[in-house]
Amino acid sequence: MPILVLGLSHHATPVAVRERFAFDAAGVPAALESLRGSGAADEAVILSTCNRVEIYAATPREPSRALAGLREFLLASQDSSDARIGGIYALSEPQSVQHLFRVACGLDSMVLGETEVLGQLKQAYELARQHGHTGARLNRAFQRAFNVAKHIRTQTNIQRGSVSVGSVAVELAEKVFSRLGDREVLVVGAGDTSEKTARALVSRGARGLAVANRSSDKARALAAELGGRAVSFADWLEELARVDIVISSTAAPHYLLDRARLAPLLPGRRNRPLLLIDLAVPRDIEPEVNFLENVYLYNIDDLQAIADDYLKQRRQEVARCEQIIREKALALLEDAGGGMWRGGVRVAFGHE
Amino acid sequence: MDWLTDRHLFLLAVALYGLSLVYSVFLWRNGFRRDNRINYLLLLAAFGPHSAAMLLRGFHLGRCPVTNLYEATLFIMWSIVGGYLGIGLWARLRFLGAFVSPALFALGVFALMPGLDTPPSVWPGLGTFWMSLHAALLLLAYGAFGLSAAAALMFLTQERNLKVNKLRAIGSLLPPIQRLAAAAERLLAGGFVFLTLGLGVGGLALARLEHPQAYRGDPKIVWSVGVWLLYLGLIIWRWRFAQGGRRFALGVLGSFLFVLLTFWGTNVLSPLHNP
Repeated sequence: MPILVLGLSHHATPVAVRERFAFDAAGVPAALESLRGSGAADEAVILSTCNRVEIYAATPREPSRALAGLREFLLASQDSSDARIGGIYALSEPQSVQHLFRVACGLDSMVLGETEVLGQLKQAYELARQHGHTGARLNRAFQRAFNVAKHIRTQTNIQRGSVSVGSVAVELAEKVFSRLGDREVLVVGAGDTSEKTARALVSRGARGLAVANRSSDKARALAAELGGRAVSFADWLEELARVDIVISSTAAPHYLLDRARLAPLLPGRRNRPLLLIDLAVPRDIEPEVNFLENVYLYNIDDLQAIADDYLKQRRQEVARCEQIIREKALALLEDAGGGMWRGGVRVAFGHE
Repeated sequence: MDWLTDRHLFLLAVALYGLSLVYSVFLWRNGFRRDNRINYLLLLAAFGPHSAAMLLRGFHLGRCPVTNLYEATLFIMWSIVGGYLGIGLWARLRFLGAFVSPALFALGVFALMPGLDTPPSVWPGLGTFWMSLHAALLLLAYGAFGLSAAAALMFLTQERNLKVNKLRAIGSLLPPIQRLAAAAERLLAGGFVFLTLGLGVGGLALARLEHPQAYRGDPKIVWSVGVWLLYLGLIIWRWRFAQGGRRFALGVLGSFLFVLLTFWGTNVLSPLHNP
């Protein structure tokens, strides 16, 4: 009984189409019931995330006919019979199993190597299993996929490092401070990136958060959202004696903080390190402050360069990961006693 | 097993320290991106024959082997490696090995130089136990100062990378600089306690001599008091005046280099320690 995959993802399908095909979690058990009831699959799992909608199925039917049945089901389930919808891919063994493993490892994700999709895949599988829609074939394939994801995570660098500016800032903070748990963060300018960065630091345990913004309403709103306090924009320099991390992202046309203003404040800090993250363009903080002892300054280019370097490292690992996945998929299919995967077909609908 | 002497065992340990040095160079060049387990195992392997060499000599002499420069060097190295093996149980601090192995290899080669392993000195009228305790406490202190200097060097490396070579800083597996600074401070404080106790025991022993004032100007005694004041100054500087970061790390490193470079000379010049 081969494993088949039919779906659409961020690679070839725009979000406007993906959102039409998305299943909400509450409706998935009924959809699986209906799919199996239609005879298109004996076992099935539906994975629906913001980047992909996929049906994993096991069926004794001939693969091309079974895949056509899955496509009909997908279109019908979303009240669509538009045959022009592009980007729907249909895979049979061995590509279907390799695809499952690639998804589990984050190799098929928008952010290469991300781990969120593994959690989503586990949830989708668990939902199907709890409602009795999986059997020996899919159970084994999914369990193996989770093992492969763990193996790839520990044996390769595909998930190493941070590839977003916010998480790079967190990583830098962890290189400076022993613990983030007792650190205070000051956000100057409540922009989108600074908010994400502050959120990332708070999620990693940063103790206190202060927000200073020219618009005090916006400062109060962000402070309330992140469980911090708002401070007057006129007084934010005074906070430098207390805080450990400053995230600055204002629209000021000149430096808000320079060496002459920061240097006299440092003795009061009693040699505690100060991490300054300047996300503003033009920059808010004079680069010269990086020469002060116990002060570490990073601007948006520094953070982006680090994120790009990690991404480059991850890309260099892809070939190794693909090789591992091919071997693991082959082992799974040979364990299943098939050998039939060798004659597998790949059927593409639409623009695939 | 007459052919196997304590010097052969120590030679084997130095060879392993050499291997650790080679692997450390690889770790440095690699930007500390690899796990440091191999280096830890190499130093652990070296610790075996090193300890065996000291035990063999200790049993042969019937006292703690700290009677000449060769033995003193072995003891300092042993306390550095022993301390490192304990600290290295925390995975993130294991990279300390890459910073201590160059010093260990250099000290090992120095110790093996001819002329250092002189016949045991006769301590003037003092009990073996107290003199062994005096020497052992001081050498443990220097071992702790050595480890503190290695942590300070790690701090300076990572601190510079965080400021200048940001990609290298973030890619390395070195611990946060705040933790490195704390490790350097604690090792320094521990070393200072050993140093104070060692000098105290030495002072008490000296007071029991017939003419203790005759040794007042002994180079080793003057030097020891100077080293004690130097480390006391560092501690006051750190805790009273809240000096930390780069300057403190340079102070720790510089102080240990001073000890390392002058210990041997003052020992040779001292009639009390080199009768």
